[in-house]
Amino acid sequence: MVDGLDLDVLEGEVVGLIGANGAGKTTTVECIQGLRRPDAGTLRVLGLDPVTEAERLRPLIGSQLQDSALPDRLRVAEAVELFTPRGVAGGRELLEQFGLAEQRRSPFASLSGGERQRLFLVLALLGRPRLVILDELTQGLDPSARRNVWAAVSQLREDGTTVLLVTHELDDAEALCDRVVAMRAGRILDSGPPAALVDRHARRATVRFGLEDVAASAALLDELRDVVGVERVEHAAGRATVYGDRRAIAHVGAALVRTCSVPADLSVQIPSLEDALLGLLDGAEACRPSDADESNLIGALR
Amino acid sequence: MNTSVGRLLRAELKLMLRDPLVLTFVFVFPVVTMLIIGGSFGTKPQASFADVNPAHWYVASYLTVVIAATGLVMLPVHLASYRERGVLRRFAAAGFPRWSFALAQLVVGLAAVGAASAVELGVAGLVYGVPALHESWRVALGIGLGAVAFVSIGVVLGTVLPSARAAQAVGLILFFPSFLLGSGGPPPKALPQAMRSVANLLPLTQVTDAIRDPWLGLGPASTSLIVVAVLAVAGTALAARRAAL
Repeated sequence: MVDGLDLDVLEGEVVGLIGANGAGKTTTVECIQGLRRPDAGTLRVLGLDPVTEAERLRPLIGSQLQDSALPDRLRVAEAVELFTPRGVAGGRELLEQFGLAEQRRSPFASLSGGERQRLFLVLALLGRPRLVILDELTQGLDPSARRNVWAAVSQLREDGTTVLLVTHELDDAEALCDRVVAMRAGRILDSGPPAALVDRHARRATVRFGLEDVAASAALLDELRDVVGVERVEHAAGRATVYGDRRAIAHVGAALVRTCSVPADLSVQIPSLEDALLGLLDGAEACRPSDADESNLIGALR
Repeated sequence: MNTSVGRLLRAELKLMLRDPLVLTFVFVFPVVTMLIIGGSFGTKPQASFADVNPAHWYVASYLTVVIAATGLVMLPVHLASYRERGVLRRFAAAGFPRWSFALAQLVVGLAAVGAASAVELGVAGLVYGVPALHESWRVALGIGLGAVAFVSIGVVLGTVLPSARAAQAVGLILFFPSFLLGSGGPPPKALPQAMRSVANLLPLTQVTDAIRDPWLGLGPASTSLIVVAVLAVAGTALAARRAAL
């Protein structure tokens, strides 16, 4: 379900839709593709109405759909031929680019999960669409195949293609997206560049290390408390933990070098988009009106 | 023919020929059962077969076994499998015209009926001989309208049933009574009255009558032909609506 969603995607942007299961991400992209009719509201994709102008719009969109297969006995080259718009070439090059040239005669059923996802990406890119929608693109891919897909999406960005990425893989969103939109229960919780969401909603960065010389430690910890970006310094069981924003990591490192206290066991935990999303979802859960409140609201609106 | 419809049609025809269910159920099953049943009653005209050669009775009846196998088993399983696995959503998202898939299925279904009927008549010709056509235009009309009606029924079933397994189960439940009572089983005169009444209600019986009677000179079977024509028109309209992408 999608409720009151207000989403603008600018030409040439790579935008990620992120959120828990049931957040409405797939429903949103199905509406954008004209596969589902919104009950209310206004929707324009590349200036066209996805429902009433579907036949003009769909050739301009390349789609990689979640939970959507091909016929088992359809061969790779036949799938490319089937989905290549008239007068368009380049299918063979895309198969080579995504490492599927050897599988041209393989039936879909015989492809591995990674090969299937790469084939879907090839099909989505046939005909150089202006908007590419990728729904859970890297699901089930091994790390190497995933990096290949990342490289392909980066290439799309350089070519000026608008990309809407729907994903549970927040590493994908962090690495690829200019902007992410976090959704929950059909509504937008927040949006912005991944780093901005991390700053706003993730827990702090932490730097941990052991303290060998206890006598010198007190002075060091006092110095670290004054470092830019550091919020708190804790000391327990011979180990120090420094909490702060992402800038603090570099400043703490510089301070340790300056004081000749470079520890061998230093570890850094950088807040990620996943931390930010969890923080956002926790916050939204805490703010969610109780059932009684919702009943009252509905009653008042009636 | 590089339009999207042409490409879809080409791919679907290739896939049909690679489907073991189609090859066994639409191409092999009717031939094998025709040889067994047709050979069981000899070639001497019998009263229960309206005084015609029983082998010829079955040759003229078995085209509808092909039609029923295509409409009640092949197409529902094929379509339900596509829906279940999201293939239709992929076609829709890729910009195939809304009507293209329904048209492709109609053509593929009719192609299957045509090819399997040719195989069956070829084998029948070698073994029993093909009986002479008494009213060829009525027979042609019966085959054409019957095929369109059952292909449409198949498309509708495929869009209603939730999964390929469900389609296979429902398809077989519909197919075998239709096959035994309406086409390839005992002749109507050999059936008890109650069974004959049930048989008369089956769409396949109407198609068989509309083909067999004018083929063997047993009568025009105009009522059956009208029923089949109504089924074809209604079925096509419903199938086009249900199978739109």
